[in-house]
Amino acid sequence: MDIGFSVEETRFREECRDWLHANVPAEKRPLDAADAIGFDKAWQRRLFDAGWAGINWPADYGGRGLSIVQQVIWLEEYAKAHAPWIGANFVGINHGGPTLILNASEEQKAYHLPRILKGEAIWCQGFSEPGAGSDLAGIKTRGRIEGDELVVNGSKIWTSFAHVADWQELVLRTEEGSQRHAGLSWAICDMHAPGITVRPIRKMSGQTEFAEVFYDDVRIPLSNVVGGLGNGWKVAMSTLSFERGTGFIAEQVKAGQEIAELVTTARANGMIKDDRIADQLSQMRAEVAALRAMTYRNISEVVRTGQPGPEASVIRLFTAELGQRLERMAVLLIGEDLIDFAYGDDNAVQDYLRGFASTIAGGTAQIQRDIIGERLLGLPKSR
Amino acid sequence: MDLTLNDEQEALRTATADWCRDHMPLEGARSRPAGLWGDLETMGWTGMTAPGLDLDHATEAVVFSELGRVLAPIGLISTAAAHRWFADSIDGKVALALPADEPRDMRVLDPGGANVALMWTAGGLRLFDMPNDRTHAPTIDPSTDQSRQEWTASVGTKDAAAPLHLQLLAAAYAVGCADAARDMAADYAKLRHQFDRPIGWFQALKHICSDMAVRAAVARSQLHYAACSLDARDTDAAFHIAAAKRLGDQAALDNGRANIQVHGGIGMTDEAAPHLCLKRAHLLQFIAPADAALLLEDAA
Repeated sequence: MDIGFSVEETRFREECRDWLHANVPAEKRPLDAADAIGFDKAWQRRLFDAGWAGINWPADYGGRGLSIVQQVIWLEEYAKAHAPWIGANFVGINHGGPTLILNASEEQKAYHLPRILKGEAIWCQGFSEPGAGSDLAGIKTRGRIEGDELVVNGSKIWTSFAHVADWQELVLRTEEGSQRHAGLSWAICDMHAPGITVRPIRKMSGQTEFAEVFYDDVRIPLSNVVGGLGNGWKVAMSTLSFERGTGFIAEQVKAGQEIAELVTTARANGMIKDDRIADQLSQMRAEVAALRAMTYRNISEVVRTGQPGPEASVIRLFTAELGQRLERMAVLLIGEDLIDFAYGDDNAVQDYLRGFASTIAGGTAQIQRDIIGERLLGLPKSR
Repeated sequence: MDLTLNDEQEALRTATADWCRDHMPLEGARSRPAGLWGDLETMGWTGMTAPGLDLDHATEAVVFSELGRVLAPIGLISTAAAHRWFADSIDGKVALALPADEPRDMRVLDPGGANVALMWTAGGLRLFDMPNDRTHAPTIDPSTDQSRQEWTASVGTKDAAAPLHLQLLAAAYAVGCADAARDMAADYAKLRHQFDRPIGWFQALKHICSDMAVRAAVARSQLHYAACSLDARDTDAAFHIAAAKRLGDQAALDNGRANIQVHGGIGMTDEAAPHLCLKRAHLLQFIAPADAALLLEDAA
């Protein structure tokens, strides 16, 4: 065990820091997806042109082909530099792209991956449905095979960036009468195809960032199926371990910045003299340190064995819940000013309201606890 | 950067766990055999980082969390630290004195078989002679006795790493204690049936166990990071070790309570083991406690 970085890694960190210092945009990213799309695309393009997009993606598809540790260093420095959230590029960069790298054909990869990295193609994720949330295998959106096409009918919901997206990773039922995890396929759906209707949904924090998507005889070429017909569940699950590896580093660095700011604020307004507040702050300070240690441990496991350790599922739950406790503390510290919150404000109240997503999106905290209990502790499956 | 156990550490961890299972199981914590201490010395656990063995703190923390998992004697913490920092002036077992203000009597934990006691304060470690005519009384932790004594002649070290070392070992014990409660609860949740199924099937119980796993994993990660920071003599080692102790203590206490709840009726008996973890957790809170003010200081 050691916590030092190699000379090469340290040099890489300096390179990251220097570039970010000179290039992080001064203006803030707009909150609403529709307003932010131009910003997001331009920033992603700038990252790509300077060689910072897809640091651990294969070089053949526009990535840098560097190590996961270098990816971690980049993400840490990125967050430390207060660089903007990648916003609408989030799904393509963090989920769609990695899924394609693992499962797609050469042709699919050659077409889509460079476009994702350059910020030219915005992706969204079509997994959840009105009737299939935590019970994701209850997917009902169906694709009937007609010649060399799928004819798609149904609906998806909570689809982030659907109203500004070009492509969607769509999980749908392609085998009539199939049940649960069987008979599903993972397809690349053109969001501009006829028959798609998008109804944007406003969040309680004010942003319109996700949407419901309706499919009315939408035609998708069979050549857009990734990983083979009927293998959708396997393909969809293949990137979950990725999410649990480096997917949360930005949040973790942000947590470190937040707790430091909270302590400063509590000192300035005197609230730190309240023992309960001081106690919670010191607890969270320790937890933020532990979160980093746990992430490093998990990354070390990936470097050593090629995959995240069994505790990776813990990181996701802990990151989400710690983030929410930090947000609650921030709201507590601003006191009565909370009353003035209005849609469009980009402040601690907005973060707090938005933060409810972190224990719901991508698997609720309750589902995460099922996973930890069953896979880490070997308790009997409840479902 | 590598926070996984290397092969040597993994081998030592496994060997420690195996030995403990056979010779020092948790269930026997309240009445350890008379010759046990000699065995612990033979195993090398009383001086892993002392001159001679010179192992690193990361390895020591890994082994001590295994020892903590079976509620090994509290005196191992003070003895291991004393052998590292007072190698020339001690021989054999060293008891653990809790910090006290002179001239108030000091409270000494696990005094049996010891002639000297090691006191931890945030500023250093001090070694005190122990009187021969002393009485041993029980503590809340059935595995640990105590004695009281007046202040005696002492030697001390002001090396900043010395108190951090003892605090790290106490944190390792706490992490082990949290692990033990988690495993006991999970095992019981698989074994115990109600409504024709293992109680661990029910999310109400499963999620209690999952939270125990989260707390233990969080505390263990920080423990390993903290041990490495002490090995590297990092300027923020004091912060990381305090964080490890805080999270270890919290995990041990919360898991100790949760374990009793998962066990139901048997969990609140004297005969079953869950209360042993809880009581150990309460005792550990007073051993080299984490300073909340330090945790709030600016990061280095």
